[in-house]
Amino acid sequence: MSPEQILLIPKIENGFVLDHIPAGSGVKILNLIRGHQELNDAVLSVGLNYTSRRLGRKDLIKIQSRELPQRFLQHLSLVVPGVTIKRVEKFAIAQKIVLEPPELVDNLLSCPNPGCITNHERCVTTCFHLVRREPMKFRCNHCERWFAMTELENRLKL
Amino acid sequence: MKRDLISIEDLSEKHLRDYLELGKRVEGTSPEVCRKVLAGRILGVLFYEPSTRTRLSFEAAMLRMGGQVIGFSEALNTSVAKGESLADTIHTVEQYCDAIVIRHPREGAARLAAEVSRVPVINAGDGANQHPTQTLLDLYTLQNLFGRVDGLRIALVGDLKYSRTVHSLFHALARFKDVRFRFVSPETLKMPEYVIEASEGATTEVIETTSLEEAISDSDVVYMTRIQRERFPDPVEYEKVKDAYRLDRAALQNAPAHLKVLHPLPRVNEIATEVDSTPHAAYFPQAGYGMTMRQGILAHLLGGKL
Repeated sequence: MSPEQILLIPKIENGFVLDHIPAGSGVKILNLIRGHQELNDAVLSVGLNYTSRRLGRKDLIKIQSRELPQRFLQHLSLVVPGVTIKRVEKFAIAQKIVLEPPELVDNLLSCPNPGCITNHERCVTTCFHLVRREPMKFRCNHCERWFAMTELENRLKL
Repeated sequence: MKRDLISIEDLSEKHLRDYLELGKRVEGTSPEVCRKVLAGRILGVLFYEPSTRTRLSFEAAMLRMGGQVIGFSEALNTSVAKGESLADTIHTVEQYCDAIVIRHPREGAARLAAEVSRVPVINAGDGANQHPTQTLLDLYTLQNLFGRVDGLRIALVGDLKYSRTVHSLFHALARFKDVRFRFVSPETLKMPEYVIEASEGATTEVIETTSLEEAISDSDVVYMTRIQRERFPDPVEYEKVKDAYRLDRAALQNAPAHLKVLHPLPRVNEIATEVDSTPHAAYFPQAGYGMTMRQGILAHLLGGKL
């Protein structure tokens, strides 16, 4: 990041940097953050459409929070896989991970198929399996239908 | 660990061949011996949707293996009508029986039943999704008619969009060696992409066509299906395609002598009754093989010795 860009988003003392977000997906992540109550009080810094050597253009989000909830990370790995998460402690990067798409999605989504039993039975747990990486597709364990991630994005169980 | 039979997708090629072997073993066992295999065992038959062949053949299969049957053939007169959940029904019925056969209009219902049940669950059809015992009996029929499944040329005809039977059969056959397919359907009832996609990796040759004539002259098996009125969201669309394919004696004039016609039944207009007396008709023996196959399935899942 160039010095000018650094000026646009302030450094954070403690928290998390979500980096390498494909341009345009930052808004999806903001919506996701809004859906997780534990993060409602966190201070956010958002940068959209920066120049990136790897992606061409990218978004970037900084979250001043002690923890990122496990369920948020699972949702994030589904909605925008490949994001780099850097944990910041005292202005320095303490840990860095890249979120991979999950092989198994356990009760994080509802099924888009209106005929699927999981949409009709009380207290049922859903499960989806990753069946293809490019383009990413998941199979419902119950009705066995395959869904592209675009069909599942608005089916997150928050 | 209990065994269930929920989806053809759960079965490898070896599993499929093992099931065919089971059918043979049933045929090779005398009725007297068969009647001892599941003696004293009870099968719960839960049919939330109408059925003739599947329900009766399961019941007959259980009786022929020496067991007994309880259950219902429609949900109207049960606690389901009072709003009981499927999970609660299963938890109740499993107290009374040693295995459960379920047909349900919702896709995934049998999987859910298997998840909550402590006794084996057999899927007898879940909405437009799976009907694995129909697939196994179809494979068993082919094995009996041709002595093999590998290398057959099979035309799937009619409603390839909504027919769960066809979807499961295609996935199962694609696991055998060198099976070649012709998909014969009106444009609006073509095999869905997601079904073809799910068989990816299997070595299959698929030709899509609208011509039944072409398929008849170049296949070993013509697998007819009923255009299912109940699966159409729009009745106008049903009217447009309901009589798209009709197989009669004239249509079979150029058929190879060994060609066999199969159908999961019930039929409406798609096969003329005049075909019944031709050597090509194999759909009633197919229904008979259904019982044999289900005897084998029940023995296997309930741990009966054959």
